[in-house]
Amino acid sequence: MRADRVPFLAGICLAGVCVISPFSFAQDKPIEPAETVEVSPELDDLKLLVQQSALPYLTGSKPFVLREASWSGEIEPGKARLIQVQLFKRNDYHFWLAVPDRKSSLNLNLYNGKGELVEAKSVRYETSNVTSLVASPEETGLYYLRLSMQSSVEEPQRWAVIYAYR
Amino acid sequence: MNRAAVLSLILVTAGSHLLAQDAPGRINLNDPNLVIVDASVIPIPVEIFASLDKLGAQDWSKQVDAREIRLDANRSRTAMLFGLVVSDGFIAVQAQDKEAVRRTGREVLRLASSLGVASSVEQHANAIVAGAGQGDWPQVRKELDRTRQTVLNKMSELRDEELVALVSLGGWLGGTQALAAVLKQNYSVEGSDLLNQPDLVKQLKDDFNTLPARARRGKVFEQISQTLKHLESLMRVDASGIISQGKVIEISLSTKNLVDSIYES
Repeated sequence: MRADRVPFLAGICLAGVCVISPFSFAQDKPIEPAETVEVSPELDDLKLLVQQSALPYLTGSKPFVLREASWSGEIEPGKARLIQVQLFKRNDYHFWLAVPDRKSSLNLNLYNGKGELVEAKSVRYETSNVTSLVASPEETGLYYLRLSMQSSVEEPQRWAVIYAYR
Repeated sequence: MNRAAVLSLILVTAGSHLLAQDAPGRINLNDPNLVIVDASVIPIPVEIFASLDKLGAQDWSKQVDAREIRLDANRSRTAMLFGLVVSDGFIAVQAQDKEAVRRTGREVLRLASSLGVASSVEQHANAIVAGAGQGDWPQVRKELDRTRQTVLNKMSELRDEELVALVSLGGWLGGTQALAAVLKQNYSVEGSDLLNQPDLVKQLKDDFNTLPARARRGKVFEQISQTLKHLESLMRVDASGIISQGKVIEISLSTKNLVDSIYES
């Protein structure tokens, strides 16, 4: 597994990228249904944060194309969540994860349909509450994105994941 | 090696070590304690087309179809049509067919009006038409995805969850039909791998079958259920790890029949 470190770009917003309804976030099981429709300033900020992290990768000679869809939920320190995602061979995928607390330490990993860890490039940012992962699946199929948060913070954290392909 | 390069190497090494420690090499997907996020993001057609185009240029123009859309009071059918029309837009972009994309922009707005979400979609529909005029295909792709997501968000907001599922299903169906048709014309083992989606089809089938009966009224919805069941058996690799040409032809026929039925019902 490889890892990169890139500067975190704060305060940048491309036209259209930041203007997205909070309702575009899918929610994980522990969240009550009512939370899926309430406007949450925290969630807006979180989505902005994760989108800002993606911006440097959406331009250049081999840009990723950001999907409008996203996932979100809440996670406790030391716990993990799995997101199911259908990926296609020959494409590259970039997933970003963010939580609000800058002291949080995150992990993001990809597993195939057999539960085996997939080789991927992990990207670290200036702040540890954002991380991302670049993978090029060898087979078309269902994969599992595993997100986890180390016990460096005490409080459960809201999280947001977005992805892009190329 | 200069200092910056050394520092960079240290960071890369440290990062790799950290990740190797933190990530289990294997997870038991049957572990009842796993918390799987109860939401799915359905791939959009261009995500799949992008992979196929890496095997060589495909002739997408033959998949562009100018269909007349006759609306009725069945909102479930309208939601399916909305998904299908957005997927038609992605196909038209792939074929770089300006007039077909403009038509998509207009139809998207008409269908959104019928679903009661026109005001949310209007700016995206206009951007699709404008982007097509300028041949700005990346921008049109973005706006099509935004249009789709905006409608899904609006439907969730209005607690029309069954329509969310149907818009997603319609979009997936349209993209799969075009993909299978292209592969039928120009079969390759590598390309047909893109149709290996058994888990996704199962999930779409299960989502559809759990919709309330009121959202599945009409003959065409019986056909949707049957076709999804059939596709679940077809859209998986066989023992030799491929999807045969015969299966591709059958997927193409099944999806085309269903799409025709939805438009014509």
